[in-house]
Amino acid sequence: MITALRAVKFAFQNFGRNFWLSLITVSMLVLTLLTVNVLMVLQQVASKAIAFAEERIEVSVYFYPATAEERITGAAGYLRGLPQVRDVEVITSDEALRRFSDRHAADEAILQSLDEVGGNPFGPTLVVKAYGADDFPFILDALDNPQFRNDIREKDFSSFEDIIDRIRSTTDRIQLFGMVLSAIFLLIATLIVFNTVRIAIFIHREEIGIMKLVGATNAFVRAPFLIECLIYSLFSVAFTAVIVYSSVAVMDPKFSAFFGGESVGLLEYFIRNWYWIFGMQFVILTIINMLATMVAMRKYLRV
Amino acid sequence: MIHFKNINKTYSPNIVGVRNVNLHIRPGEFVSIVGQSGTGKSTLAKLMFAEERPTSGQIAVGGWDITRIREHDVPLLRRQIGVVFQDFKLLVRRTVYENVAFALEVAGTPARRIREVVPQVLKIVNLQEKGDRYPKQLSGGEQQRVVVARSLVHRPKILVADEPTGNLDTIHTREIIDLLRKINEFGTTVVLVTHNREVVNALKKRVITLEGGEITSDVEEGRYKL
Repeated sequence: MITALRAVKFAFQNFGRNFWLSLITVSMLVLTLLTVNVLMVLQQVASKAIAFAEERIEVSVYFYPATAEERITGAAGYLRGLPQVRDVEVITSDEALRRFSDRHAADEAILQSLDEVGGNPFGPTLVVKAYGADDFPFILDALDNPQFRNDIREKDFSSFEDIIDRIRSTTDRIQLFGMVLSAIFLLIATLIVFNTVRIAIFIHREEIGIMKLVGATNAFVRAPFLIECLIYSLFSVAFTAVIVYSSVAVMDPKFSAFFGGESVGLLEYFIRNWYWIFGMQFVILTIINMLATMVAMRKYLRV
Repeated sequence: MIHFKNINKTYSPNIVGVRNVNLHIRPGEFVSIVGQSGTGKSTLAKLMFAEERPTSGQIAVGGWDITRIREHDVPLLRRQIGVVFQDFKLLVRRTVYENVAFALEVAGTPARRIREVVPQVLKIVNLQEKGDRYPKQLSGGEQQRVVVARSLVHRPKILVADEPTGNLDTIHTREIIDLLRKINEFGTTVVLVTHNREVVNALKKRVITLEGGEITSDVEEGRYKL
Protein backbone atom coordinates (compact mmCIF):
# COMPACT_ATOMS: atom_id res chain seq x y z
CA MET A 1 0.00 0.00 0.00
CA ILE A 2 2.82 2.38 0.99
CA THR A 3 4.72 1.42 -2.16
CA ALA A 4 1.63 1.96 -4.33
CA LEU A 5 1.07 5.42 -2.83
CA ARG A 6 4.73 6.28 -3.41
CA ALA A 7 4.47 5.12 -7.03
CA VAL A 8 1.48 7.47 -7.42
CA LYS A 9 3.50 10.29 -5.81
CA PHE A 10 6.44 9.66 -8.16
CA ALA A 11 4.05 9.58 -11.13
CA PHE A 12 2.64 13.01 -10.19
CA GLN A 13 6.20 14.29 -9.68
CA ASN A 14 7.17 13.07 -13.16
CA PHE A 15 4.04 14.70 -14.57
CA GLY A 16 4.87 18.01 -12.90
CA ARG A 17 8.59 17.99 -13.71
CA ASN A 18 7.89 17.46 -17.40
CA PHE A 19 4.95 19.83 -17.34
CA TRP A 20 5.17 21.08 -20.94
CA LEU A 21 5.62 17.59 -22.31
CA SER A 22 2.66 16.42 -20.23
CA LEU A 23 0.61 19.40 -21.43
CA ILE A 24 1.28 18.61 -25.09
CA THR A 25 0.38 14.97 -24.51
CA VAL A 26 -2.84 15.83 -22.71
CA SER A 27 -3.74 18.45 -25.38
CA MET A 28 -3.36 15.88 -28.13
CA LEU A 29 -5.48 13.38 -26.24
CA VAL A 30 -8.12 16.07 -25.61
CA LEU A 31 -8.15 16.84 -29.33
CA THR A 32 -8.74 13.17 -30.09
CA LEU A 33 -11.52 12.89 -27.54
CA LEU A 34 -13.15 16.11 -28.76
CA THR A 35 -13.35 14.66 -32.28
CA VAL A 36 -15.08 11.60 -30.88
CA ASN A 37 -17.51 13.79 -28.90
CA VAL A 38 -18.24 16.02 -31.89
CA LEU A 39 -19.20 12.83 -33.72
CA MET A 40 -21.56 11.94 -30.89
CA VAL A 41 -23.13 15.41 -30.98
CA LEU A 42 -23.49 15.11 -34.72
CA GLN A 43 -25.16 11.74 -34.33
CA GLN A 44 -27.64 13.22 -31.85
CA VAL A 45 -28.42 16.28 -33.98
CA ALA A 46 -28.78 14.15 -37.11
CA SER A 47 -31.19 11.80 -35.33
CA LYS A 48 -33.20 14.79 -34.19
CA ALA A 49 -33.16 16.31 -37.69
CA ILE A 50 -34.35 13.03 -39.19
CA ALA A 51 -37.09 12.67 -36.57
CA PHE A 52 -38.07 16.30 -37.12
CA ALA A 53 -38.33 15.78 -40.88
CA GLU A 54 -40.11 12.44 -40.49
CA GLU A 55 -42.76 14.06 -38.35
CA ARG A 56 -43.52 16.32 -41.24
CA ILE A 57 -43.85 13.72 -43.93
CA GLU A 58 -47.43 13.12 -44.93
CA VAL A 59 -49.47 11.69 -47.78
CA SER A 60 -52.47 13.68 -48.92
CA VAL A 61 -55.10 11.38 -50.47
CA TYR A 62 -57.57 13.30 -52.59
CA PHE A 63 -60.94 11.67 -53.21
CA TYR A 64 -63.38 12.49 -56.00
CA PRO A 65 -65.92 15.14 -54.88
CA ALA A 66 -68.79 12.71 -55.26
CA THR A 67 -67.35 10.12 -52.91
CA ALA A 68 -69.77 9.21 -50.16
CA GLU A 69 -68.82 10.33 -46.65
CA GLU A 70 -69.03 6.83 -45.22
CA ARG A 71 -66.45 5.63 -47.76
CA ILE A 72 -64.11 8.41 -46.61
CA THR A 73 -64.69 7.47 -42.97
CA GLY A 74 -64.14 3.81 -43.86
CA ALA A 75 -60.83 4.60 -45.58
CA ALA A 76 -59.72 6.72 -42.60
CA GLY A 77 -60.66 3.89 -40.21
CA TYR A 78 -58.81 1.34 -42.34
CA LEU A 79 -55.69 3.49 -42.40
CA ARG A 80 -55.83 4.17 -38.66
CA GLY A 81 -55.83 0.42 -38.17
CA LEU A 82 -52.45 0.08 -39.86
CA PRO A 83 -49.53 -0.10 -37.40
CA GLN A 84 -47.42 2.15 -39.63
CA VAL A 85 -49.93 5.02 -39.45
CA ARG A 86 -49.47 7.61 -36.74
CA ASP A 87 -52.40 9.91 -37.56
CA VAL A 88 -55.11 10.39 -40.15
CA GLU A 89 -56.81 13.74 -40.56
CA VAL A 90 -60.07 13.89 -42.49
CA ILE A 91 -60.66 17.12 -44.43
CA THR A 92 -64.15 17.43 -45.81
CA SER A 93 -64.91 19.08 -49.16
CA ASP A 94 -66.15 22.23 -47.41
CA GLU A 95 -63.09 22.40 -45.19
CA ALA A 96 -60.81 21.88 -48.22
CA LEU A 97 -62.56 24.77 -50.00
CA ARG A 98 -62.30 27.02 -46.95
CA ARG A 99 -58.58 26.28 -46.52
CA PHE A 100 -57.94 26.92 -50.22
CA SER A 101 -59.83 30.22 -50.08
CA ASP A 102 -58.01 31.29 -46.94
CA ARG A 103 -54.65 30.40 -48.43
CA HIS A 104 -55.27 32.42 -51.59
CA ALA A 105 -57.34 35.21 -50.01
CA ALA A 106 -54.95 37.79 -51.41
CA ASP A 107 -54.90 36.35 -54.90
CA GLU A 108 -57.89 37.79 -56.81
CA ALA A 109 -57.18 35.79 -59.98
CA ILE A 110 -57.37 32.45 -58.20
CA LEU A 111 -60.53 33.38 -56.30
CA GLN A 112 -62.09 34.57 -59.55
CA SER A 113 -61.21 31.27 -61.23
CA LEU A 114 -62.82 29.43 -58.33
CA ASP A 115 -66.02 31.46 -58.87
CA GLU A 116 -65.96 30.63 -62.56
CA VAL A 117 -65.70 26.90 -61.85
CA GLY A 118 -68.80 27.24 -59.69
CA GLY A 119 -69.69 25.13 -56.63
CA ASN A 120 -67.04 23.23 -54.64
CA PRO A 121 -64.46 21.58 -56.93
CA PHE A 122 -62.65 19.96 -53.99
CA GLY A 123 -63.27 16.48 -52.89
CA PRO A 124 -62.62 15.19 -49.36
CA THR A 125 -59.00 14.60 -48.42
CA LEU A 126 -57.21 12.32 -46.00
CA VAL A 127 -53.90 13.57 -44.62
CA VAL A 128 -51.92 10.51 -43.45
CA LYS A 129 -48.86 10.69 -41.21
CA ALA A 130 -46.61 7.70 -40.62
CA TYR A 131 -44.15 6.82 -37.86
CA GLY A 132 -41.20 6.75 -40.23
CA ALA A 133 -40.29 7.59 -43.78
CA ASP A 134 -39.84 3.89 -44.52
CA ASP A 135 -43.53 3.27 -43.77
CA PHE A 136 -44.88 5.32 -46.65
CA PRO A 137 -44.35 2.80 -49.45
CA PHE A 138 -46.47 0.34 -47.45
CA ILE A 139 -49.20 2.96 -46.82
CA LEU A 140 -49.28 3.94 -50.48
CA ASP A 141 -49.61 0.27 -51.44
CA ALA A 142 -52.40 -0.13 -48.90
CA LEU A 143 -54.32 2.69 -50.58
CA ASP A 144 -54.21 0.71 -53.81
CA ASN A 145 -56.72 -1.57 -52.14
CA PRO A 146 -59.59 -2.17 -54.67
CA GLN A 147 -62.02 -1.10 -51.95
CA PHE A 148 -60.80 2.53 -52.24
CA ARG A 149 -58.81 2.67 -55.46
CA ASN A 150 -61.68 3.93 -57.61
CA ASP A 151 -62.61 6.70 -55.19
CA ILE A 152 -59.09 8.17 -55.09
CA ARG A 153 -58.31 10.91 -57.55
CA GLU A 154 -54.72 11.56 -56.56
CA LYS A 155 -52.11 10.75 -53.95
CA ASP A 156 -49.61 13.46 -53.09
CA PHE A 157 -46.54 12.29 -51.24
CA SER A 158 -44.65 15.24 -49.83
CA SER A 159 -40.96 15.00 -50.78
CA PHE A 160 -39.45 15.07 -47.27
CA GLU A 161 -38.00 11.69 -48.06
CA ASP A 162 -35.38 13.40 -50.23
CA ILE A 163 -34.48 15.69 -47.35
CA ILE A 164 -34.14 12.71 -45.00
CA ASP A 165 -31.99 10.90 -47.52
CA ARG A 166 -29.83 13.97 -47.85
CA ILE A 167 -29.53 14.35 -44.05
CA ARG A 168 -28.64 10.67 -43.79
CA SER A 169 -26.06 10.69 -46.55
CA THR A 170 -24.50 13.95 -45.29
CA THR A 171 -24.39 12.63 -41.73
CA ASP A 172 -22.92 9.33 -42.91
CA ARG A 173 -20.24 11.15 -44.88
CA ILE A 174 -19.41 13.47 -41.95
CA GLN A 175 -19.33 10.48 -39.60
CA LEU A 176 -17.01 8.57 -41.89
CA PHE A 177 -14.76 11.61 -42.16
CA GLY A 178 -14.94 12.06 -38.36
CA MET A 179 -14.07 8.42 -37.75
CA VAL A 180 -11.07 8.64 -40.07
CA LEU A 181 -10.05 11.88 -38.34
CA SER A 182 -10.49 10.26 -34.90
CA ALA A 183 -8.40 7.28 -35.99
CA ILE A 184 -5.64 9.60 -37.24
CA PHE A 185 -5.74 11.66 -34.03
CA LEU A 186 -5.73 8.47 -31.97
CA LEU A 187 -2.71 7.17 -33.85
CA ILE A 188 -0.90 10.49 -33.37
CA ALA A 189 -1.92 10.58 -29.69
CA THR A 190 -0.62 7.03 -29.20
CA LEU A 191 2.68 7.95 -30.83
CA ILE A 192 2.88 11.07 -28.66
CA VAL A 193 2.26 9.03 -25.50
CA PHE A 194 4.91 6.55 -26.65
CA ASN A 195 7.34 9.41 -27.26
CA THR A 196 6.46 11.10 -23.95
CA VAL A 197 7.23 7.90 -22.06
CA ARG A 198 10.44 7.46 -24.06
CA ILE A 199 11.56 10.99 -23.20
CA ALA A 200 10.48 10.54 -19.56
CA ILE A 201 12.58 7.37 -19.35
CA PHE A 202 15.51 9.26 -20.88
CA ILE A 203 15.07 12.20 -18.48
CA HIS A 204 14.77 9.89 -15.47
CA ARG A 205 17.45 7.41 -16.50
CA GLU A 206 19.73 8.57 -13.67
CA GLU A 207 16.93 8.36 -11.12
CA ILE A 208 15.95 4.93 -12.46
CA GLY A 209 19.56 3.78 -12.11
CA ILE A 210 19.68 5.00 -8.52
CA MET A 211 16.32 3.40 -7.76
CA LYS A 212 17.68 0.06 -8.94
CA LEU A 213 20.90 0.58 -7.05
CA VAL A 214 19.16 1.19 -3.73
CA GLY A 215 16.85 -1.79 -4.08
CA ALA A 216 13.69 -0.70 -5.88
CA THR A 217 11.79 -3.56 -7.45
CA ASN A 218 11.22 -3.62 -11.20
CA ALA A 219 7.50 -3.16 -10.61
CA PHE A 220 8.19 -0.05 -8.53
CA VAL A 221 10.41 1.40 -11.28
CA ARG A 222 7.77 0.73 -13.94
CA ALA A 223 4.65 1.64 -11.95
CA PRO A 224 5.08 5.46 -12.04
CA PHE A 225 5.19 5.40 -15.85
CA LEU A 226 1.97 3.40 -16.03
CA ILE A 227 0.31 5.60 -13.42
CA GLU A 228 1.49 8.68 -15.31
CA CYS A 229 -0.29 7.44 -18.42
CA LEU A 230 -3.40 6.90 -16.30
CA ILE A 231 -3.08 10.53 -15.17
CA TYR A 232 -2.87 11.61 -18.83
CA SER A 233 -6.10 9.74 -19.57
CA LEU A 234 -7.82 11.13 -16.47
CA PHE A 235 -6.88 14.74 -17.18
CA SER A 236 -7.69 14.40 -20.88
CA VAL A 237 -11.15 13.00 -20.21
CA ALA A 238 -11.79 15.59 -17.47
CA PHE A 239 -10.79 18.51 -19.73
CA THR A 240 -12.80 17.06 -22.60
CA ALA A 241 -15.85 16.67 -20.35
CA VAL A 242 -15.60 20.32 -19.26
CA ILE A 243 -15.24 21.53 -22.86
CA VAL A 244 -18.04 19.27 -24.12
CA TYR A 245 -20.49 20.21 -21.34
CA SER A 246 -19.89 23.94 -21.71
CA SER A 247 -20.12 23.78 -25.51
CA VAL A 248 -23.25 21.67 -25.44
CA ALA A 249 -24.86 23.98 -22.86
CA VAL A 250 -24.26 26.90 -25.24
CA MET A 251 -25.27 25.02 -28.40
CA ASP A 252 -28.39 23.27 -27.09
CA PRO A 253 -30.71 26.36 -27.11
CA LYS A 254 -29.43 27.30 -30.56
CA PHE A 255 -30.29 23.86 -31.92
CA SER A 256 -33.70 24.08 -30.26
CA ALA A 257 -34.35 27.36 -32.04
CA PHE A 258 -33.37 25.68 -35.32
CA PHE A 259 -35.88 22.86 -34.71
CA GLY A 260 -38.78 25.23 -34.05
CA GLY A 261 -38.36 25.34 -30.27
CA GLU A 262 -38.19 21.57 -29.89
CA SER A 263 -35.26 20.56 -27.68
CA VAL A 264 -32.63 18.34 -29.25
CA GLY A 265 -31.88 17.09 -25.74
CA LEU A 266 -28.13 17.25 -26.22
CA LEU A 267 -27.30 18.49 -22.73
CA GLU A 268 -29.77 16.06 -21.22
CA TYR A 269 -28.22 13.24 -23.27
CA PHE A 270 -24.72 14.05 -21.98
CA ILE A 271 -25.93 14.49 -18.39
CA ARG A 272 -27.92 11.26 -18.44
CA ASN A 273 -25.13 9.19 -20.03
CA TRP A 274 -21.99 10.94 -18.70
CA TYR A 275 -20.65 7.88 -16.91
CA TRP A 276 -21.09 5.73 -19.99
CA ILE A 277 -19.79 8.30 -22.48
CA PHE A 278 -16.77 9.55 -20.54
CA GLY A 279 -16.23 6.28 -18.66
CA MET A 280 -15.88 4.39 -21.94
CA GLN A 281 -13.63 7.09 -23.36
CA PHE A 282 -11.45 6.88 -20.23
CA VAL A 283 -11.25 3.09 -20.35
CA ILE A 284 -10.42 2.92 -24.07
CA LEU A 285 -7.92 5.80 -23.86
CA THR A 286 -6.24 4.24 -20.82
CA ILE A 287 -5.93 0.86 -22.52
CA ILE A 288 -4.37 2.44 -25.62
CA ASN A 289 -2.05 4.64 -23.50
CA MET A 290 -1.02 1.68 -21.35
CA LEU A 291 -0.17 -0.36 -24.44
CA ALA A 292 1.91 2.53 -25.83
CA THR A 293 3.61 2.94 -22.44
CA MET A 294 4.34 -0.76 -22.12
CA VAL A 295 5.83 -0.90 -25.62
CA ALA A 296 7.98 2.17 -24.82
CA MET A 297 9.10 0.67 -21.49
CA ARG A 298 9.88 -2.66 -23.09
CA LYS A 299 11.99 -0.92 -25.69
CA TYR A 300 13.73 1.73 -23.62
CA LEU A 301 13.47 0.87 -19.91
CA ARG A 302 16.04 -1.70 -19.02
CA VAL A 303 15.36 -2.67 -15.41
CA MET B 1 30.42 -13.34 3.97
CA ILE B 2 31.45 -13.07 0.29
CA HIS B 3 32.63 -16.13 -1.62
CA PHE B 4 33.95 -16.06 -5.18
CA LYS B 5 34.71 -19.51 -6.59
CA ASN B 6 36.48 -19.76 -9.96
CA ILE B 7 34.80 -16.62 -11.21
CA ASN B 8 35.26 -15.58 -14.80
CA LYS B 9 33.61 -12.62 -16.46
CA THR B 10 34.06 -12.16 -20.19
CA TYR B 11 32.36 -9.31 -22.05
CA SER B 12 33.19 -10.60 -25.52
CA PRO B 13 35.60 -13.33 -26.59
CA ASN B 14 38.50 -10.90 -26.42
CA ILE B 15 37.51 -8.69 -23.47
CA VAL B 16 38.11 -10.23 -20.07
CA GLY B 17 36.65 -8.59 -16.95
CA VAL B 18 38.00 -10.97 -14.33
CA ARG B 19 39.65 -14.35 -14.69
CA ASN B 20 39.62 -17.33 -12.35
CA VAL B 21 38.96 -15.31 -9.19
CA ASN B 22 38.79 -17.22 -5.91
CA LEU B 23 38.05 -15.04 -2.94
CA HIS B 24 36.65 -15.19 0.55
CA ILE B 25 35.83 -12.05 2.50
CA ARG B 26 34.90 -12.67 6.12
CA PRO B 27 32.22 -10.77 8.07
CA GLY B 28 33.48 -7.48 9.51
CA GLU B 29 36.54 -7.33 7.29
CA PHE B 30 37.83 -4.17 5.63
CA VAL B 31 39.22 -5.20 2.25
CA SER B 32 40.85 -2.96 -0.34
CA ILE B 33 40.85 -4.12 -3.92
CA VAL B 34 43.58 -2.37 -5.82
CA GLY B 35 44.92 -2.39 -9.31
CA GLN B 36 45.47 -0.20 -12.31
CA SER B 37 42.62 1.03 -14.50
CA GLY B 38 40.99 -1.73 -16.52
CA THR B 39 42.24 -4.58 -14.35
CA GLY B 40 38.74 -5.68 -13.34
CA LYS B 41 38.35 -3.99 -9.92
CA SER B 42 34.97 -2.46 -10.71
CA THR B 43 33.82 -5.66 -12.42
CA LEU B 44 34.63 -7.55 -9.23
CA ALA B 45 32.64 -5.00 -7.19
CA LYS B 46 29.68 -5.13 -9.60
CA LEU B 47 29.60 -8.91 -9.38
CA MET B 48 29.07 -8.57 -5.62
CA PHE B 49 25.81 -6.65 -5.94
CA ALA B 50 24.61 -8.40 -9.14
CA GLU B 51 25.14 -5.44 -11.41
CA GLU B 52 27.10 -7.94 -13.50
CA ARG B 53 26.63 -11.72 -13.79
CA PRO B 54 29.60 -14.06 -13.97
CA THR B 55 30.28 -15.96 -17.19
CA SER B 56 31.29 -18.95 -15.09
CA GLY B 57 31.97 -19.79 -11.45
CA GLN B 58 29.95 -19.34 -8.30
CA ILE B 59 29.27 -16.30 -6.08
CA ALA B 60 27.70 -16.40 -2.63
CA VAL B 61 26.90 -13.35 -0.51
CA GLY B 62 25.90 -13.95 3.10
CA GLY B 63 25.31 -17.63 2.29
CA TRP B 64 23.06 -16.71 -0.66
CA ASP B 65 24.14 -18.08 -4.02
CA ILE B 66 23.71 -15.12 -6.33
CA THR B 67 25.45 -16.66 -9.35
CA ARG B 68 22.19 -16.95 -11.28
CA ILE B 69 20.13 -14.62 -9.13
CA ARG B 70 16.63 -14.03 -10.51
CA GLU B 71 15.68 -10.50 -11.57
CA HIS B 72 13.04 -10.09 -8.89
CA ASP B 73 15.51 -11.11 -6.16
CA VAL B 74 18.08 -8.47 -7.11
CA PRO B 75 16.31 -5.66 -5.13
CA LEU B 76 16.45 -7.84 -2.00
CA LEU B 77 20.20 -8.29 -2.45
CA ARG B 78 20.72 -4.56 -3.08
CA ARG B 79 18.98 -3.74 0.20
CA GLN B 80 21.61 -5.82 1.99
CA ILE B 81 24.58 -4.28 0.25
CA GLY B 82 25.32 -0.56 0.44
CA VAL B 83 27.00 0.82 -2.66
CA VAL B 84 29.09 3.99 -3.01
CA PHE B 85 30.39 5.23 -6.36
CA GLN B 86 33.00 7.70 -7.46
CA ASP B 87 30.43 9.82 -9.34
CA PHE B 88 28.11 10.04 -6.29
CA LYS B 89 24.86 9.25 -8.18
CA LEU B 90 22.79 11.76 -6.24
CA LEU B 91 19.49 13.19 -7.41
CA VAL B 92 20.26 16.86 -8.02
CA ARG B 93 16.66 18.00 -7.65
CA ARG B 94 16.27 16.43 -4.23
CA THR B 95 17.70 17.67 -0.96
CA VAL B 96 20.23 15.77 1.12
CA TYR B 97 17.42 14.48 3.35
CA GLU B 98 15.31 13.45 0.32
CA ASN B 99 18.24 11.70 -1.35
CA VAL B 100 18.83 9.61 1.74
CA ALA B 101 15.11 8.99 2.28
CA PHE B 102 14.76 7.97 -1.38
CA ALA B 103 16.48 4.63 -0.73
CA LEU B 104 13.91 3.84 1.95
CA GLU B 105 10.95 5.20 -0.02
CA VAL B 106 11.55 2.93 -3.00
CA ALA B 107 11.83 -0.04 -0.66
CA GLY B 108 8.38 0.68 0.79
CA THR B 109 9.57 1.72 4.26
CA PRO B 110 6.82 3.47 6.28
CA ALA B 111 7.13 7.26 6.54
CA ARG B 112 7.51 7.14 10.32
CA ARG B 113 10.47 4.79 10.05
CA ILE B 114 12.03 7.05 7.40
CA ARG B 115 11.69 10.05 9.75
CA GLU B 116 13.57 8.04 12.39
CA VAL B 117 16.32 6.53 10.26
CA VAL B 118 17.33 9.43 8.01
CA PRO B 119 18.41 11.83 10.80
CA GLN B 120 20.34 8.96 12.41
CA VAL B 121 22.41 8.21 9.32
CA LEU B 122 22.88 11.91 8.58
CA LYS B 123 24.31 12.20 12.06
CA ILE B 124 26.72 9.31 11.41
CA VAL B 125 28.10 11.13 8.36
CA ASN B 126 27.99 14.45 10.21
CA LEU B 127 25.50 16.10 7.84
CA GLN B 128 22.60 16.50 10.25
CA GLU B 129 22.69 20.28 9.78
CA LYS B 130 22.62 20.10 6.00
CA GLY B 131 19.56 17.97 5.36
CA ASP B 132 17.77 20.74 3.47
CA ARG B 133 20.68 21.50 1.11
CA TYR B 134 20.79 20.38 -2.49
CA PRO B 135 23.79 18.35 -3.76
CA LYS B 136 25.11 21.33 -5.73
CA GLN B 137 25.32 23.33 -2.51
CA LEU B 138 27.71 20.76 -1.00
CA SER B 139 31.43 20.07 -1.44
CA GLY B 140 32.56 16.84 -3.12
CA GLY B 141 33.36 15.28 0.23
CA GLU B 142 29.96 16.20 1.62
CA GLN B 143 28.23 14.79 -1.46
CA GLN B 144 30.11 11.54 -1.01
CA ARG B 145 29.06 11.49 2.65
CA VAL B 146 25.44 11.80 1.53
CA VAL B 147 25.98 8.76 -0.69
CA VAL B 148 27.48 6.87 2.24
CA ALA B 149 24.49 7.90 4.37
CA ARG B 150 22.12 6.67 1.67
CA SER B 151 23.98 3.36 1.47
CA LEU B 152 23.59 2.90 5.23
CA VAL B 153 19.83 3.39 5.54
CA HIS B 154 19.10 -0.30 5.02
CA ARG B 155 21.68 -1.17 7.70
CA PRO B 156 23.65 -3.27 5.20
CA LYS B 157 26.01 -6.01 6.28
CA ILE B 158 28.28 -5.18 3.36
CA LEU B 159 29.34 -1.81 1.98
CA VAL B 160 30.95 -1.78 -1.46
CA ALA B 161 32.73 1.48 -2.24
CA ASP B 162 33.94 1.75 -5.83
CA GLU B 163 36.57 4.50 -6.03
CA PRO B 164 34.72 6.66 -3.46
CA THR B 165 37.61 9.12 -3.25
CA GLY B 166 38.33 9.32 -6.97
CA ASN B 167 36.87 12.82 -7.27
CA LEU B 168 37.99 14.16 -3.89
CA ASP B 169 40.96 16.14 -2.61
CA THR B 170 43.23 14.84 0.16
CA ILE B 171 41.24 16.30 3.06
CA HIS B 172 37.90 15.00 1.83
CA THR B 173 39.49 11.67 0.95
CA ARG B 174 40.61 11.29 4.54
CA GLU B 175 37.11 12.21 5.77
CA ILE B 176 35.52 9.50 3.63
CA ILE B 177 38.10 6.85 4.56
CA ASP B 178 37.65 7.69 8.25
CA LEU B 179 33.93 7.35 7.76
CA LEU B 180 34.31 3.96 6.09
CA ARG B 181 36.59 2.85 8.88
CA LYS B 182 33.99 3.97 11.45
CA ILE B 183 31.28 2.04 9.60
CA ASN B 184 33.56 -1.01 9.57
CA GLU B 185 34.08 -0.67 13.31
CA PHE B 186 30.29 -0.90 13.73
CA GLY B 187 30.57 -4.39 12.18
CA THR B 188 29.84 -3.75 8.51
CA THR B 189 32.06 -5.54 6.00
CA VAL B 190 33.66 -2.89 3.80
CA VAL B 191 34.99 -3.58 0.32
CA LEU B 192 36.94 -0.60 -0.97
CA VAL B 193 37.89 -0.48 -4.62
CA THR B 194 40.64 2.07 -5.15
CA HIS B 195 43.87 2.92 -6.87
CA ASN B 196 44.85 5.49 -4.22
CA ARG B 197 48.19 4.37 -2.86
CA GLU B 198 48.15 6.64 0.26
CA VAL B 199 44.72 5.48 1.29
CA VAL B 200 45.61 1.81 1.03
CA ASN B 201 48.90 2.20 2.82
CA ALA B 202 47.33 4.24 5.62
CA LEU B 203 44.57 1.74 6.22
CA LYS B 204 46.84 -1.21 7.05
CA LYS B 205 44.04 -3.65 6.21
CA ARG B 206 43.71 -6.59 3.84
CA VAL B 207 44.70 -5.72 0.27
CA ILE B 208 43.77 -7.74 -2.81
CA THR B 209 45.67 -6.80 -5.95
CA LEU B 210 44.32 -7.40 -9.41
CA GLU B 211 46.28 -7.50 -12.62
CA GLY B 212 44.78 -8.32 -16.00
CA GLY B 213 41.61 -9.51 -14.29
CA GLU B 214 43.45 -11.97 -12.03
CA ILE B 215 44.27 -11.78 -8.34
CA THR B 216 48.01 -11.51 -8.09
CA SER B 217 48.26 -10.85 -4.39
CA ASP B 218 46.07 -11.09 -1.30
CA VAL B 219 47.77 -9.85 1.88
CA GLU B 220 46.15 -9.52 5.32
CA GLU B 221 47.84 -6.29 6.29
CA GLY B 222 48.98 -5.19 2.90
CA ARG B 223 50.28 -2.23 1.04
CA TYR B 224 49.82 -0.84 -2.43
CA LYS B 225 52.46 -2.67 -4.44
CA LEU B 226 51.92 -1.74 -8.09
